[in-house]
Amino acid sequence: MSQTITIDPVTRLEGHGKITLKTNDQGEVSEAYFTVTQVRGFEKFSEGRPYYEMPSLMARICGICPVSHLIASAKACEAIMSVEIPPTAAKLRRALNLAQTIQSHALSFFYLSSPDLLLGMDADPVDRNIFGVAQKNPELGRAGVALRRFGQHIIELLGRKRIHPGWVVPGGVTEPLTAVKRDEILALIPEAYANIKLALKWYKEIADRFTEEAEHFANFPGAFLGMVSEDHSLEFTDGKLRLIDATGNILEDKLDAAHFDNVIGEAVEPFSYMKFPYYKPLGYPDGAYRVGPLARLNIASHAGTPLADIELTEFKKLANGPVLGSFYFHHARLIDILYGIEKIEQIFSDHTILDTHVRATAGVNRLEGAGIAEAPRGTLMHHYKVDDKGQIIWPNLVIATGQNNNAMNRGVLQTAQRYVKGEKLEDGMLNRVEAVIRTFDPCLSCSTHAYGQMPLAISLVAPDGTVLDSIRRG
Amino acid sequence: MTTDNQPEKKPANQPPIYRLILACGNTLRGDDGIGWQIAAALEQDVSNADAHIVVTRQLLPEHAELISRAEVVVFIDCSAHAEAGQVQSIPIVPAEQLPRILTHHLDPASLLRLALDLYEKVPSHAIAITVGGDFFELSEELSAPVKAAIPDAVLAVQQALR
Repeated sequence: MSQTITIDPVTRLEGHGKITLKTNDQGEVSEAYFTVTQVRGFEKFSEGRPYYEMPSLMARICGICPVSHLIASAKACEAIMSVEIPPTAAKLRRALNLAQTIQSHALSFFYLSSPDLLLGMDADPVDRNIFGVAQKNPELGRAGVALRRFGQHIIELLGRKRIHPGWVVPGGVTEPLTAVKRDEILALIPEAYANIKLALKWYKEIADRFTEEAEHFANFPGAFLGMVSEDHSLEFTDGKLRLIDATGNILEDKLDAAHFDNVIGEAVEPFSYMKFPYYKPLGYPDGAYRVGPLARLNIASHAGTPLADIELTEFKKLANGPVLGSFYFHHARLIDILYGIEKIEQIFSDHTILDTHVRATAGVNRLEGAGIAEAPRGTLMHHYKVDDKGQIIWPNLVIATGQNNNAMNRGVLQTAQRYVKGEKLEDGMLNRVEAVIRTFDPCLSCSTHAYGQMPLAISLVAPDGTVLDSIRRG
Repeated sequence: MTTDNQPEKKPANQPPIYRLILACGNTLRGDDGIGWQIAAALEQDVSNADAHIVVTRQLLPEHAELISRAEVVVFIDCSAHAEAGQVQSIPIVPAEQLPRILTHHLDPASLLRLALDLYEKVPSHAIAITVGGDFFELSEELSAPVKAAIPDAVLAVQQALR
């Protein structure tokens, strides 16, 4: 008898999402949809605004990754201005972007995903959260809290605010770095190294317990998109994009923001407000690809920093070619953090970081501009068209999480087909379906959870309306 | 006073904090910004010079480490349940039950619980000073009764710190 199972809302995500599972007459999951139920409207209400307001406006899209939007937007504005920002400003922005990546990944790994990894996918939901982690493994909990604080504190020192910082503007940054702040940041580095090393060691010790999930969590062939530097190492801020296929062959290389939409299209589906980007030469949905930590590590030939290089070499041995299982996003996130710490140390040890030339100025010199940056969750693109006065007439944003939309939907179906069985719903089944979404660490908005208990009711309903089973959380 | 807008001074060996004041609230939501104004008033008074004052938009897990180093902690916040302008002093103990879900807002009792679980130490005294509010629209202004309650709230904090 065919049925519909709905998980609404999905827990431990940034934002609100709903999962719908439909079963066939044999009780097997035949369809699955990850539905994003929010409409934000940023692209529409930006029309008519002066282009130089856009970084500040766009940062308000998100409370976890506002820096990524600041930087991608500022770069789009700089394309309109036809300016190249001063080298010190570029380094400072790179550091800010990496600090954000570190704190965002710390939130994702330690607060949102480690409860599953430490306590088990079948653990009682009452315990399966950061507070459960704090009780079961305080050392791991402390490491997570400290890494998040490390990234946030750097953002606060540079941008004056932890959430929605300013400082990044079209042309560069508003003020140079002081020696006091630089020294304060460098003093935080040793503890950060200790914490990420602890996390990596712990993860590798427990990873073998999840070979089943690693095999079935959004594990399928597909392309990967990400930014690399000129020497093909990791790059988050000022590189060019590369797209590879499931065997590692390069499909597109040295792709810059100005030509992004020549090769990337956006499809829409009736069940979600989130768009579905795809690689145009392969069409939709065959041209779907993944972005984010897993994509970055698959695409880069090496990290470019000593300790992360060692970790990346080890990571690449997980597969012969690109690592395809999305469960390994967790591992990749930790390597991103390690790289970020090393790169931040390099940047702030550079004697030119205190240079006072940090901003270029100009007016409108082009009527169109695009900028890309690697957000924690993957490649982010801002593209604007302006009139002669510099007022926005057309903005388009291609968000990292949106680029993983197709993969998340495929992942939900694959996982549900593996774990959701029969007419009896079990919490562990549904948690695995949620957990596959969490591997992507989607950022659906900055409004994650309502205060208090999150009501979550899942009902298994027969076509004639009979409730066969139900689960309620909260 | 350290805020979300200023660098936090952090001695290398993280010495203990005798008196910690954690004021939270959203300064864009009318009366919810009262905590920030009370904290600013406290900082003006030199008798509070040895108090470590932190203002933040919300309590976060990252505050657990600070709390674990304090002997006394006073939380300052607006209350949507008390009468506008009513000042209350509420003793806080670590929560026995953990929250079911991590939210953008942690309550003081849960934060104490987290400090206990992560750092095995909580302050010997923890008190919440709340001021009732009834205007939470988009505004940077406090309503009249809430603004008038600032001196009483400051006094309540100073009494709690003794």
